[in-house]
Amino acid sequence: MSVTRILSRFDLLLFAGSMALAFLGILGVYSASLQSPASSAFSRQLIWTALGLFICFIVFSIDYHHLVDYAFHLYVLSIGLLVGILLFGKTINGSKSWLTIGGQNFQPSEVVKVIVILALTRYLSNLSEDYLKRQHFIALVVIAMIPVCLVVLQGDLGTALMYFPILGGMMLIGGLKFRFVAAVMALGLAMAPAGWLVLEDYQKQRILVTFDPDLDPKGYGYQTRQSQIAIGSGGLLGTGLGNGLQSQLGFVPEIHTDFIFALLAEETGLLGACLVLMLYLFVLSRMIRIGEQARDRSGILIITGIASLIFFHVVINVGMALGITPAIGIPLPLLSYGGSSALSTYAALGLALNVHYHRFVY
Amino acid sequence: MPIFQDNRKLVSRVRGLRTCFVLIFLVLFAKLWYIAVLKADHYRQLAKQNQVRIIPMLAPRGLLFDRGGQVLVDNVESSNLVLFRDKANDLEKVFEFLRGLNVPEEYLQERLHAARTRPKYQALTIKENLSLEEISYVLAHQNEHPELTIVEEPRRLYRYGQLAAHALGYIGEISEKQLKQADFADYRQGDIIGKYGVERTYDRNLAGTDGQRRLLVNSIGRTIEELHSVDAIHGNPQTLTLDLDLQLIAETELGETPGAVVAFDPVHGDVFVMSSHPAFDPNMFATRINRTDWAKLSSDPNHPLQNRVIQAQFSPGSTFKVIMAIAGLESGVIDPNDTVYCRGGANFYGHYFHCHKEQGHGTVNLSDAIRQSCNVYFYTLGQKLGIDNIERYSKLLGLGQVSGIDLAGEALGLVPSEAWKRKTTGQKWYAGETISVAIGQGATTVTPIQLARAIGIIATGHGAPLHLIKDQKLFRGPAMAVAASESDQLLRLENLQAVRNGMWRVVNEYGTGRSALVQGFEVCGKTGTAQTIGNAAKAKLSKEEAAKHPDNALFVGFAPRDNPEIVVCVIVQGGRSGGGVAAPIAGKIFQKYFDKKYGRPQGPEKITGPLQVASHAAELPPSAPPQGQPGIRQ
Repeated sequence: MSVTRILSRFDLLLFAGSMALAFLGILGVYSASLQSPASSAFSRQLIWTALGLFICFIVFSIDYHHLVDYAFHLYVLSIGLLVGILLFGKTINGSKSWLTIGGQNFQPSEVVKVIVILALTRYLSNLSEDYLKRQHFIALVVIAMIPVCLVVLQGDLGTALMYFPILGGMMLIGGLKFRFVAAVMALGLAMAPAGWLVLEDYQKQRILVTFDPDLDPKGYGYQTRQSQIAIGSGGLLGTGLGNGLQSQLGFVPEIHTDFIFALLAEETGLLGACLVLMLYLFVLSRMIRIGEQARDRSGILIITGIASLIFFHVVINVGMALGITPAIGIPLPLLSYGGSSALSTYAALGLALNVHYHRFVY
Repeated sequence: MPIFQDNRKLVSRVRGLRTCFVLIFLVLFAKLWYIAVLKADHYRQLAKQNQVRIIPMLAPRGLLFDRGGQVLVDNVESSNLVLFRDKANDLEKVFEFLRGLNVPEEYLQERLHAARTRPKYQALTIKENLSLEEISYVLAHQNEHPELTIVEEPRRLYRYGQLAAHALGYIGEISEKQLKQADFADYRQGDIIGKYGVERTYDRNLAGTDGQRRLLVNSIGRTIEELHSVDAIHGNPQTLTLDLDLQLIAETELGETPGAVVAFDPVHGDVFVMSSHPAFDPNMFATRINRTDWAKLSSDPNHPLQNRVIQAQFSPGSTFKVIMAIAGLESGVIDPNDTVYCRGGANFYGHYFHCHKEQGHGTVNLSDAIRQSCNVYFYTLGQKLGIDNIERYSKLLGLGQVSGIDLAGEALGLVPSEAWKRKTTGQKWYAGETISVAIGQGATTVTPIQLARAIGIIATGHGAPLHLIKDQKLFRGPAMAVAASESDQLLRLENLQAVRNGMWRVVNEYGTGRSALVQGFEVCGKTGTAQTIGNAAKAKLSKEEAAKHPDNALFVGFAPRDNPEIVVCVIVQGGRSGGGVAAPIAGKIFQKYFDKKYGRPQGPEKITGPLQVASHAAELPPSAPPQGQPGIRQ
């Protein structure tokens, strides 16, 4: 196949949009790395980006139909991996969810999300009904909840939470009847008080301060408050890379991972922050477009899973920085420093490009 | 899998998903707008309240000890005034306030300009070593000037002021030029580094690692909370080879006269004394030196900033005769017993050359000639040797090249030769010039350390690597002069003995250097009285004019004669008489060395003039040796 042919079937715009985000992320991590605590982060981020692009290419080059065909095999392997880590993994920041490969810490639960998307796709694509039946619903919930339970057991609540938008989004697209939605919402509301009892005190605090950061300005409200100050004091054009007082002086914690949006907002201003959000919206709508044009149900479903995943990551992370969602430590896809998140995002990107590439039947 | 599926339902749902995405993103945009536009002033205000101050914690540099474990260079706490530029809203008011502390506005502007590339939240030192009055003045106005803070920082204290100033060196802020060099890539603007002497050579060993404190302060500058601090790591103390007692003698004896004294162990190369006068007080540099002082020092015609021991190039005068003697014996043109008859002068190449003794020395052999410093003997030897032989053996003894001591900026000196003259003047060498060179006049110049090293080679037969740092593993200096190893093989013991014999007689048999005599210590030496302008030039001047160019007095020597332990070289500029002025100084150093070695009672040294112990030190208890006393191990 000629190069032009390949290029004509390759979604350059989606790729370019993602790379623009990755570039902004590298700038942000560079700025954060000017302060000693994250000094090696910049070079590592470059390595992760290169590795991510490689994974992206691998995933892109295998026809997604084959991936869907083997989805259950991959799924079983993943579950095995999660169990293995639960038993033998490394504990970092209270989560026993880490694997150390060549000196680098790596969180497989991030990548398993992509495999769960494939498994759900596999199950849903074989259905011919317009709406899901009860047994389908139960099956889907089981497929998603097994890894969720394992990840919760590993102690990584934030990552576990991100399986829900995947499941929810894909079920909605797969055909969820309104009464199911209503039932789930009712159940959720009913469970809330019970759930509240289950949560640890610090988790409750985090949720409460979302609504009122001044409740605890030095504790859990602190992060949100400082991040808001960073965003609010950046002005239109920002202070310039490396000059953000809030970011550079260590007021905003986890600046290169969870709060990179605050750093970019302070140092590149409102314009930079808007650019980031626009780029995400652009990437997401490109993905939806790929879904619309997809050749089959499995293509649409994969896109749904990926888009929901990225969307929720962005909304929760940026929402946290802006102070409208609870402070859950999840990374901003393509921007935050971190290897596991980068690899799963690039794998997802590869899948989306893959679906686009195979949109026509030859 | 079917080729075509009816996806229409799914597609329409996916479109719904997009709408959902866009709506929720609108919420994000709205909140962003609310924070960054509508409430921007509010948050900017909050950001200002978040006043963090980064207070640098300068790491104290390693102390410097003399070879006996006495502290030469210490650190004391100094109260410094720092400015936080990000908190200074009105610089005019700051300028005005600082005038009350005698900080001129131009100086402050200069500091601000130099620091323009540093982040504004970093502290900028404005004035160092505040007095108690100044401290209370600042504290009294703290509320009006939250941008100013007093911090305690270590300051270098050179305990003996000008003593060994050129060897110890000084420190200062890294220059913009240095910052651009690869060697200083890990330094930042405002860092303090060693700029001269040992402080410079061993900067990396002496410097510690600076720390910093991050303080959360309120709007009037009071600390609310310490965020996190990185402690400074002290620099490693180092022991030098200098001997404080000997150094004190050299400094006192030289006094106000320009000159240089160097003494070292010719076997191991430990430099005991390095004194260059006039000197400067390195304590002046320990606070950021003010410009008028600097200008005064650098434009002083007596060059106090020059380390005469390694940088001043003098005519060796008669001290050169011992080098001539080695050249004559080694090249085989003379035998120690060959005699020359001195009648007070002799003709060479149509010119009459005088001896310093008008009535003549009579019949002299080599050791007589050295003892009495007979010019006619060495004229004759010079004629026999020829300039290129003189050049060869001068270089073999280390002249015309750096000694390799661990200090920067050594001068080369000059060893003339036919080729040198052709190259520099385009003229051929006149044989008559060789006659002047033979008695250490003419174009030959040496630095005191070169001359001393040549004597060391004669004393021991080999050139030891000269160093000021005691721990030789740390040694850092220019590539070693090659002559050392060559001379090891070339110089024959009987020739060395013949010259040493002559030098022994200089001191011990009523020779020119008898003032250097130390009972029981077998001092050997050679004096020199070197003209500072040529005979021809002198003849043109009036008597008064000529008196303005008095001869330099030199003495080089070593002791004891067998198994030498110390070489001393003294140059007193304008001292007029090597035997009368330079030799007694060397004698006192030999005597002190001898007394110390054999535990003779030593009277307290009287320290006069600029050598008084630094005033701060006088008020302080003696500095406690650092933990583990690494500096005192011998």
